Amino acid sequence: MDHTSSFERLLRGVLVALVLIFFLFPIFWILLMSFQTNETILRIPPSMVFAPTIENYQALITGKLETTAGNLDIAFMRNLWNSVLLSTSSVALSLLLGVPAAYAFARFKFRLGEDIAFTLLSFRFAPPLLVLLPLSLYFKDLHLTNTYIGLIWVYQLICLPLILWIVRGYFEDISPDIEHAYRIAGNSWWKTFTRIAIPLARPGIAAAGLLAFIFAWNNFIFSLVLASADKQPVTVGALAFVTASGIQYGQIAAAIVLSVTPTLLLALYAQRYLVEGLSMGAVKG
Amino acid sequence: MASQLTLTAVNKIYKPRGKMPVHAVISFDLVVEPGEIVALLGSSGCGKTSTLRMIAGFEDVTSGTITLNGKPIHTLSPAARGVAMAFEAYSLYPPLTIGENIAFALKAQKLSAGETEKRVKEMSAMLEIGDILGKYPTSVSGGQQQRASLGRALVRKAALTLLDEPMGQLEPQLRAVLRGRIKHYLREYALTSILVTHDQTEANALADRIAVMEGGELQQYATPQELKERPANLFTGTFIGEPPMNVLPVKVEIDAKNLSFRLQGGKDLVLTYPVGELDASLRKVLAARPEVVLGVRPHGVKLAKTGLPAEVVSCQWLGDQTHVAAEIASQTVVSVSHERLTLKTAAPIALAIAARDLHIFDPASGKAIAHGGKLA
Amino acid sequence: MAQLELQCLSKSFGALKVFEGLNLETKSGEIVVIFGGSGTGKTILLRLIAGVDDPTGGDIRIGGQSMIDVAPESRNVGMAFQNFALFPHMSAAENIAAPLNARGATAEVVKIGVDRVARLLKIDHVLDHAPRELSNGQKQRTALARALIAEPNILLLDDPLRNVDAKLRFEMRLELPRLLRQSGSTVLYVTQDYKEAMALADRIAVLAGGSFVQIATPEDIYNKPATADVARLFGDPVINLAEGAPQVRGKTVTFDIAGETIPLDGAYAAYAGRPVRLGIRPEAVEIGPVKDSHMAADVQAVTPYNERTVLLLRSRGGFEFLASLPSSSANIPNFGQSTGVKFNAEGLHVFDRDSGVRLVGQG
Repeated sequence: MDHTSSFERLLRGVLVALVLIFFLFPIFWILLMSFQTNETILRIPPSMVFAPTIENYQALITGKLETTAGNLDIAFMRNLWNSVLLSTSSVALSLLLGVPAAYAFARFKFRLGEDIAFTLLSFRFAPPLLVLLPLSLYFKDLHLTNTYIGLIWVYQLICLPLILWIVRGYFEDISPDIEHAYRIAGNSWWKTFTRIAIPLARPGIAAAGLLAFIFAWNNFIFSLVLASADKQPVTVGALAFVTASGIQYGQIAAAIVLSVTPTLLLALYAQRYLVEGLSMGAVKG
Repeated sequence: MASQLTLTAVNKIYKPRGKMPVHAVISFDLVVEPGEIVALLGSSGCGKTSTLRMIAGFEDVTSGTITLNGKPIHTLSPAARGVAMAFEAYSLYPPLTIGENIAFALKAQKLSAGETEKRVKEMSAMLEIGDILGKYPTSVSGGQQQRASLGRALVRKAALTLLDEPMGQLEPQLRAVLRGRIKHYLREYALTSILVTHDQTEANALADRIAVMEGGELQQYATPQELKERPANLFTGTFIGEPPMNVLPVKVEIDAKNLSFRLQGGKDLVLTYPVGELDASLRKVLAARPEVVLGVRPHGVKLAKTGLPAEVVSCQWLGDQTHVAAEIASQTVVSVSHERLTLKTAAPIALAIAARDLHIFDPASGKAIAHGGKLA
Repeated sequence: MAQLELQCLSKSFGALKVFEGLNLETKSGEIVVIFGGSGTGKTILLRLIAGVDDPTGGDIRIGGQSMIDVAPESRNVGMAFQNFALFPHMSAAENIAAPLNARGATAEVVKIGVDRVARLLKIDHVLDHAPRELSNGQKQRTALARALIAEPNILLLDDPLRNVDAKLRFEMRLELPRLLRQSGSTVLYVTQDYKEAMALADRIAVLAGGSFVQIATPEDIYNKPATADVARLFGDPVINLAEGAPQVRGKTVTFDIAGETIPLDGAYAAYAGRPVRLGIRPEAVEIGPVKDSHMAADVQAVTPYNERTVLLLRSRGGFEFLASLPSSSANIPNFGQSTGVKFNAEGLHVFDRDSGVRLVGQG
């Protein structure tokens, strides 16, 4: 039986509502802005009642913006596509490399194992700015500047450490005896890896993959420096809205809504995997 | 120091939030005579630990009374009850050495330093922890910690001594000797004690009387001998004793000369007893019951020249006794002999059970009908 | 079914030596119990034989063939783990079927095999359950079924009854020998419970201090223990030990225990004056009138112990010892009473005080 009084419950409800408003209001405001024209946005005093318009979305999707200073080409959809391509490819590559590596770290105690693992994790600690200048020089020499391959390669700095540390924790949690039993039953180590280790670590792999996707999607600095307009993701592409004829708030808002949506949906869908995956990986690693 | 403890209609109901209430101890009556050692015996969840905690004062009594020498103690705080307790989880004080832990228990008695040291030394010699008195609890093994915890409770010679699963972690080689020494100590100083355990071997070894509990209720409160020879119901009968009592569902057949029990699952599996070996009153009761359950302790199943035909499943010699498992009509019956026997697997043998080794139970309620040919 | 041989087998983890120079030869179809306390390396030994870990030195031969560099999946070994190690994402049936599936058996063969072994272990009604829905007893039997199903040459059982409740443990102890014999495999069974060891074994290999202290039949382990430690490990209540030295007076050999003299077999005359420990099995202590006894003792405590009664006794000179009598014996003395005790020569052993080795009577 619950012993909290109705006053306590009311107070609790009010506090929760306040916190929710505090966090969600900016997102709600941006959502509103995306359906407003620039004049409506800049009007003082600001009002909640307005005639919604989809011209911002139209401008983004068609790629043409009409401003008082003339017509502009907006490459937003292209940026969106770049984001999708870069993020999914980077995550796919890092899973392909990271999951077997995580297994190796979990199961085989080899010399310098812990040192190597820690070095790989340290890439997450280092600010990207540290490596950007040397990287841009190397990229130029290797003709990797403004290539998808170059960017996907660099994105491994973001994705691989995450995969390694979270998935390693999951592999370590599987009792080695289960794998031993499968091998003794007559299966090779590869079959054991694919039929026992991976299925049992699936929540961790999913969680790590999702996290890596989110971090890759949000990355700004690597593609700003190492790529040009046609290969840049939405994070960089948003800069284009600061034009000579003024800041196109409406389109920025619409662009934000469009770029946040994929990751927001993914995170909502896999919410419980994320929390489970984060805590498991953190405790073990 | 010998005190009498009385529990009258003690009930304990737990009310966890959001769940059904749990009636852990149901109308429990118990009288422990001065200097008596009593065991509360049962499987986990039967209410024995709740009962002990109520006696110690760590749980409130939902209803009922607990008195020590006539004085109610169930409303007093644990410290005011004059009770010494050895906890299942040892609960030794980490910043004190083992020796200091045991000595701490004597603080309230305001003994001289010399006397305290003497008592601690005696206790540590008895429990064989003399060589670790200077060590800290975290640096000794589980078995040693358990002995220290026991020592701390016993050294007080309190009015009432409570022991919660006191010997589970002890090294097997020490168990028999320590049981003997602890029992000797409790007897010599006439310490009224209650021990809680799930191990019927331990209860049998140490206790004067055992209270068997199941589902919060007292099943039977009797001496180990009585529990073995006259169990009140099938639960108690099969709980006490290792190997456990053999249980055989049978059909009753009576004629003028004999009373027979026919085993299920075979044609000629009958135990027959001449009418004279069973009391008349028992025969009358059995006449009204076509089906009963027979219980026979392993020691009561004897290998003979003629008897129930069975096949040897295994014959295991354990040094001081032989355990023979035999199959009769897809049931396994165990026989224990103090001699060394060598029988081969699948060998045919005959089993004989004397009337005095028979326990008869009601198949529906499990209650005992008769022991050894006499009504229960 | 094949024979198993351990030749000078050693295993260390860096500086930590687990065991060294283990030698064992089993007959085909034999049940050998590896007995030892915790931390003695029994589980590690099984892992080496299964092939999931490599020895530091020595050889393991199955059916005459060396297993060095042979992967676990090629050794035709079945293993049941202490913590069951069932595949959590597969049903009980799929768990049991794993060894047959790995060998490429058809679905029909697999079904027949699984049904047969499940019926044998009485788990045929829970075959479609997931491991987490099974009780400990059912999990243990599923693990056993999985080890048995492919009729392996060598069966390795790592303390399978450890995590199972007392009642079931006792039942399985009765059923296992028949089950294991039926399988025909050579069995290596690990346990810390001496009763289990004596109940199941054709031979027992006692592992202590990094080597096999004794390898013998249960009868020999109990009646002719190689060392005082082995004698202490086998027997409940534990064997009594008294320090002293045999004395020779004319033709008779005697031993002094806390001021009382008891006779010893004349064969021990060769050890006169040598510091020894006399082992007295509790069941070899006979009680009777003081007049006709080896010494008098006071009863300190009477503790019933299943079908026997254990007495804690103390001689006048302070020697504390245990006696174990059948509960049905007549005239069992009570707490506080005095009684005479006699030591049956069959239950007496003499061990060297320093090395612990049992000294055999000469002549």
